[in-house]
Amino acid sequence: MRMNDAVTGGVFVLLSALILFAARGFPTLPDQPYGPGTFPTIIAAVMMVCGLALIWSGVRSHAPLLVVADWMRGSATFHRMAWVPGFVIAYTYLSKPIGFPLLVPVLLGAFLTVTTGRPLRAAIIALLGTAALWLLFAYLLRVPLPLGLLTEVIY
Amino acid sequence: MDAVLTAFGEVLQPQVFFIIVAASAYGLMIGSIPGLTATMGTALLVPITFFLDPIPAIGAIVAATTMAIFAGDIPGALLRIPGTPASAAYTDESYRMREKGQVELALGVNMLCSTIGGLVGVAVLILAAPQIAAVSLGFSSYEYFWLALLGLSCAIFVSSSSPVKGVLSLCIGLMLSTIGIDVVMGVKRFTFGDTELIGGVSIIPVLIGMFAITEILRKVARPSRLPAPPPVRLGAMVSGVGSTIWRFKGGVVRSSLLGSVIGALPGAGADIAAWIAYALSKKFSRSPEKFGTGYPEGIVSASSANNAALSGAYVPSLVFGIPGDTITAILIGVLLMKGITPGPMVFVMDTGLVNAIFAVFIIANLLMLPLGLAAVYGSRRLLSIPQDVLFPIILLFCVIGAFAANNTLFDVWVMLVVGLIAFVLEENDFPLAPMILALILGQLVEENFMKSIIKADGQLTEFFARPIGGTLGVLTLAIWALLIGMSLYRATRARRAETTGE
Repeated sequence: MRMNDAVTGGVFVLLSALILFAARGFPTLPDQPYGPGTFPTIIAAVMMVCGLALIWSGVRSHAPLLVVADWMRGSATFHRMAWVPGFVIAYTYLSKPIGFPLLVPVLLGAFLTVTTGRPLRAAIIALLGTAALWLLFAYLLRVPLPLGLLTEVIY
Repeated sequence: MDAVLTAFGEVLQPQVFFIIVAASAYGLMIGSIPGLTATMGTALLVPITFFLDPIPAIGAIVAATTMAIFAGDIPGALLRIPGTPASAAYTDESYRMREKGQVELALGVNMLCSTIGGLVGVAVLILAAPQIAAVSLGFSSYEYFWLALLGLSCAIFVSSSSPVKGVLSLCIGLMLSTIGIDVVMGVKRFTFGDTELIGGVSIIPVLIGMFAITEILRKVARPSRLPAPPPVRLGAMVSGVGSTIWRFKGGVVRSSLLGSVIGALPGAGADIAAWIAYALSKKFSRSPEKFGTGYPEGIVSASSANNAALSGAYVPSLVFGIPGDTITAILIGVLLMKGITPGPMVFVMDTGLVNAIFAVFIIANLLMLPLGLAAVYGSRRLLSIPQDVLFPIILLFCVIGAFAANNTLFDVWVMLVVGLIAFVLEENDFPLAPMILALILGQLVEENFMKSIIKADGQLTEFFARPIGGTLGVLTLAIWALLIGMSLYRATRARRAETTGE
């Protein structure tokens, strides 16, 4: 995912412009020109200068806008990588209603099947992994991992 | 002497000692599995340290990282794959030794030199830190401002990528640190109306995202099978090691001292120390032609230097609260969460804590000898864990870890977003070290800058009026001038290459 420097530079220039705009709205100390906006303004100014420098070097380099590295090519690779955010997003939405002990073995088992291609082994490792992490965090460290559907079963 | 005994007594309490041993085992595992770096291991350890008292928490981090930097040498010698970036400098050399049938000697030298380097680094830390702290008690906001800025500039200076990208990475970190209630007037900044952001971005999910999610994405995309490691005879790891190291004793001393100093420079850590020590030992060697053929001299130097750098990094971290590398940046984050602000006052008010940190370092480095042997013994099993099983489980660990500190799913989102952004940035050659340093230092820089400029009534000359502050300021400006000069030089050279090429 190598982008032309002009693209990343453009993002930084845009970001710094937004920060500069937002920082203008902050109050200042009485009788002083400084306030909460001073520091962000300075950073945004530096960011803008560097962003412009990147745009300049990117345009001169004539590099393509986006190059996907060899190792990231192929739909199977992309599929595996998409599982990382997919896993996290599924956990954030489903852990509360379904509960850690029910959701995680399924989710982890599915992810392991994708990476290893061996469903049975994946299921076993998923169960053991879930149990180990539950023991460590919920039991030893007392992190309130959500029980979800099991709440009523247990209480 | 009493203080020393108390410190050791505190660290050797059964519970604390157990945590140190457990963390050591964890560090050896992280270090010897290629793809898991010491920084990533520390980031994953943070959610657990959150539940510990300050001394065991620091002990866990110190022990785990000390072991991880040594253990990185194990797959280097066995498989020619460095376990952590800090071992990359001499991986080829130790693999050549394996080809000559000296794999045990290579590993033994790695282990003993790591211990010696680590202990020299601790000695430097113990001797230098209180002295510097005593001087810096008189520092005002001007000195702190320049010192923090000097640290950040240094981080850009030593990173290998283009300075412009380093500065941008720095800016992202500083901007992240401004989110939440501001230090001057208590105004909410950049919270987007979200109550979760009023307290600022929490550090744990950011760390996990930056150092673990990025690595998981890369490894999941490119699953690799490790070749089978050769058998290792433990007996041979002990014999002949002492005489080899004695032959290159000068190199050990030089590299350990050099490593401590490089470690103390903000942004430069164990990996850079190892590269420089290896290059220098080749330069000073009586037989430089043997380097690269499985000659232990380079290994002796570089593996002393990387462990020394680890301890050296604690000098600026403890004395000024300015991290010397990414690991100490994380450690400072942990200390701040525990309500301890590192700085010269810690040496006055909390000598118990400082002495305990010293004690942990000494114990961790000594523990490396028995535990290191065990790790080499177990490495065949460890290296046979398939990577495609490992990384999904680590991802689950990351998710729980991000959640656990504040028990909020918002932090899991922070981890994911930061991880994805950091992945794209790293793919585009943006260094991550300046960003994490800036995130940790952001508040210190802003607070001292605002204090100074309000005191000075906007007179920028006041920033140079005090002797130490002024010197630091001039030094910082000199680094900036060098950075700008280097960028311009690179640009013109690139242009010249372009015109002659056409």
